[in-house]
Amino acid sequence: GRGSGGARGAAGAARRLEGRRREGIMNPADLDGLPDGDKQVMMDMIEGMQTRDSLQLYNRLVERCFRSCIDSFRRKNLDSGEEKCVVKCCEKFLKHSQRVGLRFAELNQGAEQQMQEMLQQQAAAAAAAQGK
Amino acid sequence: MFDPEKMTPEQKAKAFEMAKQEMEYRVDLFNRLSASCFDKCIEKRFKDGDLNTGENSCVDRCAAKYWQVVGIVGQMLGGSAMQGGMQ
Repeated sequence: GRGSGGARGAAGAARRLEGRRREGIMNPADLDGLPDGDKQVMMDMIEGMQTRDSLQLYNRLVERCFRSCIDSFRRKNLDSGEEKCVVKCCEKFLKHSQRVGLRFAELNQGAEQQMQEMLQQQAAAAAAAQGK
Repeated sequence: MFDPEKMTPEQKAKAFEMAKQEMEYRVDLFNRLSASCFDKCIEKRFKDGDLNTGENSCVDRCAAKYWQVVGIVGQMLGGSAMQGGMQ
């Protein structure tokens, strides 16, 4: 049944989720200026982190949906209501996570722009102070 | 700021370590933000698998407010030490 999905299911779901989240965490263009050797080290590092994060997501989502949906232990098998609840719980959380990813990327971008403006202002002020 | 071509191996190792820590920080930040806003915004009865309009708006505003809290706490904890690469 569903219980035997295990790591296979996790790897697939995690890949789908990470693809959507990636731009929120890091801008791929940041790696462009690096020499190829360094770029590879960074990409390996990122991939390792994503794998670990995906596996943690799997466990956290299981716990969240178990706690939200399962309350009685008169039987050892899930009834159809509990099963539907878990499915909806997952769908809801993944959609929610997707939306948060979009907002996160926007907020990141906004912060970066602010930082750049600030640096430009500082550079201009420094140049002015030197009498250029 | 950092020129990879001119760095010694030790400096480069340190730079990689800093980059890794910043990425882990961002991933952790994202996860905590996501969990907090789910708890605060999403109705727990799971009527269906989609988010309704109210939940969508709540999530957007929650993320924005969470971000502002990140900024304030960063300042309270000592400004430049925290914000070197963060936010």
